[in-house]
Amino acid sequence: MAEAKIRSVSFPRYAEYNCAFKYIVEQALGCRYVMPPVLTKRTMELGTKYSPDFVCTPFKTMLGSMIEALEAGADTLLMTHGLCRLGYYGELLEQVLRDLGYQFDFINLSEYDMGKKKEYLRIVRRFNPKANPARFLAQFMEGVRMVEYVDEITHEYYKNCGFDATDGQYKRAYQDFLTAMYTAQGRNDVEAGYRAVKRAMQSIPLDKPQRPLRVGIVGEFYTAMDAFSNLELEQKLADMRVEVHRWMNVTNQFLRYGSGQKNLRVKIQDLCQYDMGPTSTANIWYARECAERGYDGLIHIKSATCTPEIDVMPVLQNISADYKIPVLYLTYDAQTSDVGLMTRLEAFYDMIDMRKRVI
Amino acid sequence: MEKQDIKIGLPRALLYYRYRVLWRVFFQELGMETVVSPPTDRDILERGTALAIDEACLSLKIYLGHVAALAGQCDYILVPRVSNFGRHRSMCTRFESTPDLVRSVFRGPGQKFLSYEVDEEMKKKDEQDAFLEMGRTLGCSAKAAKRAYKTAKRAELAHHKERVQRYEQQYKKEGMKVLIAAHSYVAEDPFMGRTVSDYLKRVGVIPLRADMVDREAALKRSRELSPTCKWEVSREILGGVAMHKNDVDGIILLSAFPCGPDAMVNELIARRVKGVPMLNLVLDSQSGTAGVETRLESFIDIIRFKEGKL
Repeated sequence: MAEAKIRSVSFPRYAEYNCAFKYIVEQALGCRYVMPPVLTKRTMELGTKYSPDFVCTPFKTMLGSMIEALEAGADTLLMTHGLCRLGYYGELLEQVLRDLGYQFDFINLSEYDMGKKKEYLRIVRRFNPKANPARFLAQFMEGVRMVEYVDEITHEYYKNCGFDATDGQYKRAYQDFLTAMYTAQGRNDVEAGYRAVKRAMQSIPLDKPQRPLRVGIVGEFYTAMDAFSNLELEQKLADMRVEVHRWMNVTNQFLRYGSGQKNLRVKIQDLCQYDMGPTSTANIWYARECAERGYDGLIHIKSATCTPEIDVMPVLQNISADYKIPVLYLTYDAQTSDVGLMTRLEAFYDMIDMRKRVI
Repeated sequence: MEKQDIKIGLPRALLYYRYRVLWRVFFQELGMETVVSPPTDRDILERGTALAIDEACLSLKIYLGHVAALAGQCDYILVPRVSNFGRHRSMCTRFESTPDLVRSVFRGPGQKFLSYEVDEEMKKKDEQDAFLEMGRTLGCSAKAAKRAYKTAKRAELAHHKERVQRYEQQYKKEGMKVLIAAHSYVAEDPFMGRTVSDYLKRVGVIPLRADMVDREAALKRSRELSPTCKWEVSREILGGVAMHKNDVDGIILLSAFPCGPDAMVNELIARRVKGVPMLNLVLDSQSGTAGVETRLESFIDIIRFKEGKL
């Protein structure tokens, strides 16, 4: 690459984490960030059209989002490594995009041995040969802090937003917070946005019954977190006046329990002896945790053909039988209409609501 | 329980086709008896399908049917966890989950299961460590288990080498040759790949196997086609395709619905290997072979037409 040229980097849309990607690319790597357009029906149509049929749905979503990022002016695409099929996304995504005729630089983390620390410096240098490692690390940690804030506030939001006693102030506070994160230029902006939303969420009056319906969400790493991909399941539940709890997010999966989740396995040893897949231990642990805490139901979310999550289902069925907790199993493919989902959610809601009254 | 009395059940599906010699000799050397479930039939398939989650792959459904066929017939059923043999040498995550999956499906008292765990990347446990540990749980001394493993591994490698040599001979034969790129448990199962290879033989075509090659060489050659492929078996197949794509008249990418790795790797092969007729055949639990045969027939016609023999 010509030395004067600054890369325009993009990574596909993924829940609300793109604010942190943007922050890290701009502040830590000193590149430009191209925000891929919000996921729409068009994204899915593009992705589905050029993907193999039986690949898991996030591949299709990411392919569509990458095409839209290239259209928006990105010249460098980043793809992560991963423990399941995710680890092979990069090579196939690149091949499909090249066959379509797009021109771009592709940085595929699967090409690097991510177990070795010095590989990280090589990756940073590839983005920007002049990047300063010390500055990179400091700013990267700010991006990580942003991820933690987003996860914390998102959890708080879906837990309470269904009980907002005002005309939607809770939702506005959340959206203002996201805007602050997407536009943050430095640490002060991040902290100010976080403080503002914390204050707002504490002061907005809630109208919550003594024992609200509580539902725990478990499932696949992309679809369970990405509101577009799960057809805004959490918002739909919250709008039915349900407390929505989801443990699975980047903070919990990678930042807090990155080193093997050994301590989560302790409590589920009777259910499973080994890791059954990249997120199985956390999901099984959390499902049992919800059951033991007396939650009213569980929803298991996965994309079609997601092997690890299909394999977790027999264990969840046993938890459901042991604790008499209803589980709704949802498989998402590239559908873009939520009518079918609404019907199932309403039925599920009626059922757990009736059980709560009877029991 | 005396060691002589221990009877170990081996489900004839998934990793059985890769490790049958290793398993049989290992337990034999330790003085134990092994019993293998019968070849896949409709009953096994139906029992497995009833036990499995609908969306699971055909190979797992068949596997659960085999476990059900062995349940109650032996002291232990062997269900290993094979995660990886190092970086970029993983197995499909289904081979990580099988022990716990099987235990969850066959819950309750009654059948006991035996497992061993191979995970070199995360836990630094290679195959030998895994077999020594399994020997310990069976009450054998480390020395006896190690000797049994060494003997069994030698037998397995010799068996594979001999099969590879037999396939190498086939390439020299006259006649139309078709390379089947499939996992061994798909290629060799009577309800999956065997219907394909049997049909090919019947119409005078020589079926060859992409994975019947020297494994180490194949792992290296796989990089020509796919530099970041992370699945051990897929890499062997990729390597086999890279070695032999010019020695055959056509390639059949054969997979079980909806195989995770194959869904991606076969797409990549189709995009990167040019100049050879290629058929992408996905098998599900068909009740007859007519559909598969029609597709194979037209594929062979295409090859003949291309070679000017039709």
